Amino acid sequence: MRRRYSAREVALAFVLLLPSIVVFVAFFYRPFLNLLHWGTFESRRNGAYFEDVGLTQYREQLTGDDFREGLWHSVQFVLYTVPAGLVLGVLLAVAAHRRLKGIKAFQAIFSSTLASSVAVTSVIFFYLFNPVVGLVATNWLNDPTWAMFAVSLSSIWQNMGLAFVIVLAGLQAVPDEVMEAATLDGYGPVRRLLRITLPLISPVLLFLLVVLVIFGLQAFAQVDIITKGGPVSATETLVFKINRLNRPDNIGIGAVYSVGLFFVTLVVTAVQFTILERRVHYAQ
Amino acid sequence: MPSDAGSVAAPAATDDLLGSPEPVLAGATIGKSSGRRTLGLVGQYGLLVVLATIVLAPVALSLMQALSPPFPYIDAGKPLHPVAVDWKDRSWLSGGAFSVVARTALVALALAWVQLRSAGGTARHLSPLATPRRLLAVVAGTVVLAVLVTGIWEASYSRSSATAWWWLAAVFGVAATQLIGLGDIRPVWKPLLVSLLISVAVVTFATIAFGTSVWSRGWDQGDLGPAMTRSFSVTVLITVAQVVTSILAAYAFAFLRFPLKTLIFALFMGTLLLPLEVTLLANVQTIRELGWINSNAGLVAPFAATAFGTFLIRQGFKGVPPEIQDATRLDGYGHMAFLWRFAVPLTRPVIASFTVISALGAWNQYLWPQAVIDDSRYQTAQIRLKSIVGTEVANANVGVAAAILVAIPVVLLLIAFQRQIIRGLTAGAVKG
Repeated sequence: MRRRYSAREVALAFVLLLPSIVVFVAFFYRPFLNLLHWGTFESRRNGAYFEDVGLTQYREQLTGDDFREGLWHSVQFVLYTVPAGLVLGVLLAVAAHRRLKGIKAFQAIFSSTLASSVAVTSVIFFYLFNPVVGLVATNWLNDPTWAMFAVSLSSIWQNMGLAFVIVLAGLQAVPDEVMEAATLDGYGPVRRLLRITLPLISPVLLFLLVVLVIFGLQAFAQVDIITKGGPVSATETLVFKINRLNRPDNIGIGAVYSVGLFFVTLVVTAVQFTILERRVHYAQ
Repeated sequence: MPSDAGSVAAPAATDDLLGSPEPVLAGATIGKSSGRRTLGLVGQYGLLVVLATIVLAPVALSLMQALSPPFPYIDAGKPLHPVAVDWKDRSWLSGGAFSVVARTALVALALAWVQLRSAGGTARHLSPLATPRRLLAVVAGTVVLAVLVTGIWEASYSRSSATAWWWLAAVFGVAATQLIGLGDIRPVWKPLLVSLLISVAVVTFATIAFGTSVWSRGWDQGDLGPAMTRSFSVTVLITVAQVVTSILAAYAFAFLRFPLKTLIFALFMGTLLLPLEVTLLANVQTIRELGWINSNAGLVAPFAATAFGTFLIRQGFKGVPPEIQDATRLDGYGHMAFLWRFAVPLTRPVIASFTVISALGAWNQYLWPQAVIDDSRYQTAQIRLKSIVGTEVANANVGVAAAILVAIPVVLLLIAFQRQIIRGLTAGAVKG
């Protein structure tokens, strides 16, 4: 039995949704459609005028060396930060998920990196790794093979708090009886972790994985502050390149890169969900 | 995992283990001898301490860096020792009325909090503090600290070898005053240890935070005053806008019937696939066309609504029992009255979590402000940090000090709203 819509209710719903709709159209959907469109225009004479080249620019730019380099650096960053984030999150959470005296203090310390923004973290690591004034004086930031690793270290450290908080929430949702039963069955700590705990919190780990991968693909401030993309573009991630193309004369290429980033994020997230969702254990 | 599930559910055959439940160390050491249990305890604390050290190391190293002498001193072969730090004030009472009042209040508050906690009080239950001995401990502790820390500063300022003696005197002096309030706790070692630890913490904090000039230099050279003000106003504007628009939209999705609801909801959630990183270039163009470059409007507008908040608060609204809505309807309340008087108060925990998360995100923004602000007078605090890094490479301590100052509001937010922040961050991870 479908009641007909009440006109007053529909009007009220429209008024309530209007502020959000205005923002979403103006700053999410319209710009995205604009980008799709701008990608078909190629800059001529340093942006003096633009020529409609159809999909040619998409094809050329997305297979070009510069885009591929940016994508590779973003992937590199993800490969450095995500596994470390997952492992550290589990390690910290398992260590702190105990009934010990003073455990609250340790939990507070472990989650403390939440207080540090990307910019603050980057400044801290910029000076720590500075070859001249740094307390951990290394030459990493001037070495193309190590620069990305050094930048990643700052994010690994910063993500620790978030990873810890998320995994701990997952552990706290596991009923105590399950662990007690496993202990009584003679499972040692390592076997308990690998065969009981991790499968039970796998939905949480999947969530953390997706969050960390998205963070990694969107990395910008770390690179902007610590290395400014250098040395010799060795740390220019995709978002860094997009931000650099934020000039009217390059808007076509920038649009192509942005659309590329959108599809990369979409595909990576979708793959994670479809492949891993089946392996994830959801309690009934 | 069917095979594992089977073995977990298998009946336990060992009766002797069931007879000895271990309340403190559940699971980890059941059925082991007490010797191994102590060893396990040491191991667990050892692991925790190692991990805590790893987490805190960058902060500790940064503090050392902030407090170490400026680069030219290192170059001149001077030792990396706190004595070489530039010191600001010669006494507790110099440095302007505001800073004197602020630092006195901060120390008194810290000591009062410790006395309150040791007497079993909480922030909502202040009466245990109101005994003459505890109040005396707070006042005396503050006065003794103010006098003796001035000695530390003067000795440090003149690079005198008496610095360490002044420091020890301050630690034991403050500890003695704290014993006045804590003295009745048994066993005897407990108040001694607690007052000594508090004293070390307070004296160290007062020496470093109020005595060295690096903080004010970081603030001044980084020009953090206007930047922090701008960050504050933008954070407040974004947070208020996000909370209001999310509550309104969530109400429509949770309680109202209108055509195409599923489609509109899907379009709302679809914005989550379009992060700012993707739409950056086109959004900057929009802001430029609107003439909002270098303005608060430009910093706030793209963040005035969020699908995450709408989703979170809608989930909260769905938990409101329908009977309440029916009852208020019968009592003649309209939709708006129901929303603000019942739905919002009933979902306060969810809204509080979202508010704090939203403020945290707004304060920490980097990519967007640096894209729409090109005049350094309008920079937010996070963006200022980049300029400082660019100009203060040699003076590492000034740069690190500025970064730490910018993080302080978030630290306070984290301490005050820890529960809400954790609930908000894990909202997507754990159901229920």
